Amino acid sequence: MNDRIFKLTDVQYSYLGKYPALRDINMTIRKGEQVALIGSNGTGKSTLLHILDGLIFPDRGEVIALGQTLNEDYLSDEKNAHLFRSKVGLVFQNADIQLFCPSVKEDIVFGPLQLGFNDKIIADRLAQVLEILEIGHLLERIPHQLSIGEKRKVAIASVLAIDPEIIIFDEPTAGLDPLTVRHIVDFIVKAKQKGKTIITATHDLHIVGEIADTVYLFGKDKRIIKQGPAEKILEDKILLQENNLIHIHGHSHTGFTHAHPHLPTEKHSN
Amino acid sequence: MIRTTSIKNGNFLERSALSALSFVKNATLYEEFAVNKGFLQSLEPRIKTIVFLFFLITAVCLKSAIFIALLYLLCLTLAFCSGVPIIFFLVRTWVFIPIFSLCIVIPSLFSFVSGGQAIASFHALGIKFIITRQGLDGAVLFVARIATSVSLVVLLSLTTRHGELLKVLRNFKVPQVFVLTVSMCYRYLYLFAVIIENIFIAIKSRVGIVSHHGKGQHIVAWNIANTYNKSTQLSEDVYKAMLSRGYSGEPRLLEKFHPQLKDWFCLIGSVIVSACLFYMELRK
Ligand SMILES: Nc1ncnc2c1ncn2[C@@H]1O[C@H](COP(=O)(O)OP(=O)(O)OP(=O)(O)O)[C@@H](O)[C@H]1O
Ligand SMILES: [Mg+2]
Repeated sequence: MNDRIFKLTDVQYSYLGKYPALRDINMTIRKGEQVALIGSNGTGKSTLLHILDGLIFPDRGEVIALGQTLNEDYLSDEKNAHLFRSKVGLVFQNADIQLFCPSVKEDIVFGPLQLGFNDKIIADRLAQVLEILEIGHLLERIPHQLSIGEKRKVAIASVLAIDPEIIIFDEPTAGLDPLTVRHIVDFIVKAKQKGKTIITATHDLHIVGEIADTVYLFGKDKRIIKQGPAEKILEDKILLQENNLIHIHGHSHTGFTHAHPHLPTEKHSN
Repeated sequence: MIRTTSIKNGNFLERSALSALSFVKNATLYEEFAVNKGFLQSLEPRIKTIVFLFFLITAVCLKSAIFIALLYLLCLTLAFCSGVPIIFFLVRTWVFIPIFSLCIVIPSLFSFVSGGQAIASFHALGIKFIITRQGLDGAVLFVARIATSVSLVVLLSLTTRHGELLKVLRNFKVPQVFVLTVSMCYRYLYLFAVIIENIFIAIKSRVGIVSHHGKGQHIVAWNIANTYNKSTQLSEDVYKAMLSRGYSGEPRLLEKFHPQLKDWFCLIGSVIVSACLFYMELRK
């Protein structure tokens, strides 16, 4: 089918050939779909995102992206790489790594420049992302000297400046204050309305419902344990609890103590 | 409190960690002068590099310390016109100079290295040391050359953005592998400092203050191995991040290089200055 953006078949990956990071991954992502990958630490979410972004390649199995087999051969052709990089953008888990330019401005225009956009488009994109993420005041700053939240916003801006059709986020809300989390979630929701395909890895369950229609749950054995519509998976408290995504929360209401599984931000009704 | 006193004493671990950090932080601060509005900053980077190259060759070829000193003065003036604080600049450059010169200059002062007319002598360790005129002249010339060359190079790097310098290198047909390596180094230098800082803080929070000398060094040894591993990982990660946004090995900058009339004047000016210095030296 034409609207199939990614199709992974039996993908397997291990670091240095000895640390397994992904096993038997099968998934299909369609155009305009919002996907969330959830799972506890070390279950292979980031690894999968790097595979989707064509940065590493599976040991076994096949990745088809935008109708082409995504492998080293394909991306070593400059034209193909150019096409792929302008369509797929990845916001890394670690913003420190993603920001390597001496100023915020240079970091934001890095992608568009590398992809050879013309000056007018670059200027427009810059103005646009500064407005969307409200980071105009950071333009001349040195990226490394920003706070974690500011860095994250600049990292997102640096990917948005390319205006990719497919945006991949690796833990976009980790370590951010509630308002900034709100900002980023709103942003993803808006991008969804514009028809972008969005793939997000997170363990922040309370944003999953908003940013994803399809959820893949990754288990400790680096396999996909379950996949399905967001509501279905979020409902299954026992499964989530088994996978360290929610914890049993013991606390006392006036007079008696009880315990129940708990989403990190659910309000206690006492 | 124990904590404050041991920080004051500054044990091995803390001192080395802190100096490494401040060095790297300074290195990134360099860019602050490069983005200032000053004379050198306003020049077109390629022409500026050629001008500095001219001066550098002149400094190396001139045979009299006086004319080299003139060139050095010119360099200081340029620094001043470009908003680089003179004291900061002098410290920056003279820190490097002894490293280059001491080992070569000091021996050559004496009669057993460069023979000639004695101007001073003293006894030490039962040996008679004689400083010769030829030795002294040679040493002065040598120091002047080194000081001027180092200052020129430092001034160029202070007033030009790293990205611009790299692009200039590419323009001058320096191989891409080399430029890529330099740019990667620059890019993760800072991350490196952050890693060291984090490790340092982590150790401190886990074992309290590391006050025992031997233990401090032990941890450093372990850390060097650890940091090495991390740095390989880091260069890979940074490279991935660059790749992900379309990097194909060619540095590209927003500002295009456009030499203006002023740049050409500077180029001609530098040729004239060099020629004059050589001429005056010949006449002498
Ligand atoms: N560079 C590496 N070298 C060796 N092993 C690695 C490397 N990076 C990741 N791994 C291993 O691969 C597995 C998957 O890691 P990955 O980073 O994909 O997990 P994750 O789901 O993103 O975790 P987190 O939620 O903590 O970000 C882990 O077991 C990890 O130890
Ligand atoms: Mg991860």
